[in-house]
Amino acid sequence: MRAFLDNLRLALGTFLGNPLRSLLTLLGIVIGVATVITMMGLIEGLRIKVNNDMGRMGAHTFQVTKWPAGGFGRINWAKYAKRQDFEMPDSRAIEESCPSVGTVVPTDDEGGQKLSTPSAETRPSVRVFGTPANYPLVSGVSVQVGRYFNDVEALDGRHVVLLGTDVADALFPGMNPVGHEVRIKGRPFRVIGLLQKRGSMLGMFSMDNQVMIPLRAFHQLYGKARSLDISVQAKDPALFKKAQDEVSALMRRRRDVPANMPNDFEIHTNESVTASFNQLSNVITIAGVGVCLLSLVVGGIGILNIMLVSVMERTREIGVRKALGARKRRILGQFATEAILLALLGGAIGVGMGFGLVFLGNWMLGFPMHVPPWVVGLALFMSCGVGLLFGIYPAAQAAKLDPVEAMRAD
Amino acid sequence: MSAASGSAGKLIQVEDITRVFHVGGEEVRALRGVSFGIGRGEWVAIIGQSGSGKSTMMNVLGCLDTPSSGRYMLNGKDVSRMSDDELAVIRNVEIGFIFQTFQLLPKETALANVELPLVYRGMAARERRERAKAALDKVQLTHRMHHRPNELSGGQRQRVAIARALVSEPSMLLADEPTGNLDSATGEEIVRLFEQLHQAGHTLVLVTHEPKLAARCPRAIRLSDGQIVADGNGREVAMGTASDVLNVGGA
Repeated sequence: MRAFLDNLRLALGTFLGNPLRSLLTLLGIVIGVATVITMMGLIEGLRIKVNNDMGRMGAHTFQVTKWPAGGFGRINWAKYAKRQDFEMPDSRAIEESCPSVGTVVPTDDEGGQKLSTPSAETRPSVRVFGTPANYPLVSGVSVQVGRYFNDVEALDGRHVVLLGTDVADALFPGMNPVGHEVRIKGRPFRVIGLLQKRGSMLGMFSMDNQVMIPLRAFHQLYGKARSLDISVQAKDPALFKKAQDEVSALMRRRRDVPANMPNDFEIHTNESVTASFNQLSNVITIAGVGVCLLSLVVGGIGILNIMLVSVMERTREIGVRKALGARKRRILGQFATEAILLALLGGAIGVGMGFGLVFLGNWMLGFPMHVPPWVVGLALFMSCGVGLLFGIYPAAQAAKLDPVEAMRAD
Repeated sequence: MSAASGSAGKLIQVEDITRVFHVGGEEVRALRGVSFGIGRGEWVAIIGQSGSGKSTMMNVLGCLDTPSSGRYMLNGKDVSRMSDDELAVIRNVEIGFIFQTFQLLPKETALANVELPLVYRGMAARERRERAKAALDKVQLTHRMHHRPNELSGGQRQRVAIARALVSEPSMLLADEPTGNLDSATGEEIVRLFEQLHQAGHTLVLVTHEPKLAARCPRAIRLSDGQIVADGNGREVAMGTASDVLNVGGA
């Protein structure tokens, strides 16, 4: 312990004796660690945000769809296009023959729509949802002002609409939109409600740039030759898995899927969407760790270099120390401590810089960022490892110097 | 503990030591069967021209090198076959080095330099500081202890080095041309210090090529061509240079 403290003091002395050179040497490690901290901060921030956003989707609900959800891999759309559409009878069948299922909500939606009033219009980016009256039960949607449409309006396909806050702000700035008329695809709709603000998904696309109309009205506007998304809520959270199995079996029967073939439809849960994001973030994490390792190796070579120079410059000192009774292990320890301290310092500066970047990203760009503590730990640990790995060879060179020869050096 | 050459109970007992180097396939025999003893409290000069083997002798005596054959007993321990790390411990405990070029660490203060041997003994910081101050006091340098070597004169540097040699209370002080880098007045100052240390009972071994310095020592051993050619009163050995060389040439 005493030897360690002495070594630490010596190492600090060396660093302070040559701060600029030490800092330049550390650049590789600093950059590597700063990169990994920033990247992990971004990923982790997104992960937390995704999990929160998914939580808003509605409790113990899953969705049956023709199309895979977003997905981050290469998707063969042509293959999915051949799949049979989901239609109202599918929805009704689920309701009637799946005992674990509570609520069934068929919906459809179309993006890129433009809404207008006589005096204003939105950009053509609004998503129009067609839903039954019970949609708020299975989604995170709730009404801020006014009311959702009722069963009668839904079954009649009345032209009533609820606006997302972005749409309301564009069409009725600073006004209560309820009672006014808007046009969707040229057809008049009466505003009966304003939706609660939901924020943006993943901090990127807004969930408030949308409107809700009865599904029947939606079909009148956009036609019926489309596939529904069927949201299904289990009767009880405990029956969640069972409900999925029942729906899956029913759909396979209805769609004549042979026993040895996979489903020709998708079942999404919050979990499955989150899982696919997590899968992506894991890939990025691994890539990030790879980048970090690479720059740590570069940094390590810097340390190797500076330590070799240091040993050469201090050959005489090493000789004196050995003559005065320093054992090999002690000299080895001295130089290894120096290398590790140097690397650790680089790591610490990198962590500081990483946090700085995370803060900047948060503050200037509004990215959700969160640096998990284990990343800091790992980064510092890896820095130490690099210091040891690349410092041990120069230290061993120092330790095996012959004192007489070494003292003769200049 | 008689000063004369007996064999048992000596601090240093060197028996038929050889040291052979292999330089580019050629054999260089730096020491060719050297035997002598040095008692506790003796002050002995080892004198010789360059190439006489005195530097090799100094390295062997200082446990910085091991003999090719023969036996070296230091303070009752056979150090001639020890490993590097064992020798490091012996150097730390038994030997206080004083070098021609002082060999102080340039970035450390005088005090830190003097503390160094105690650092490798694993002594607590406070105790080694106290001891280092006491050692600096012995060479009258307490007032300069927070200065770095480049802020000290040559004589002061050598006194710091002597304090460093004294601080570990070694069995012997081993000085290699201690006045070689000093002007004559400062050199004289250092020799006086050696005289005081000798009177205080320290064992001093002084390796030099200067007859004048050797003449100040009670005893001198002359090496030539890797062998002892004279061993006796310092003044006589130092002055008898010419005849000794002739003797060797005739042998």
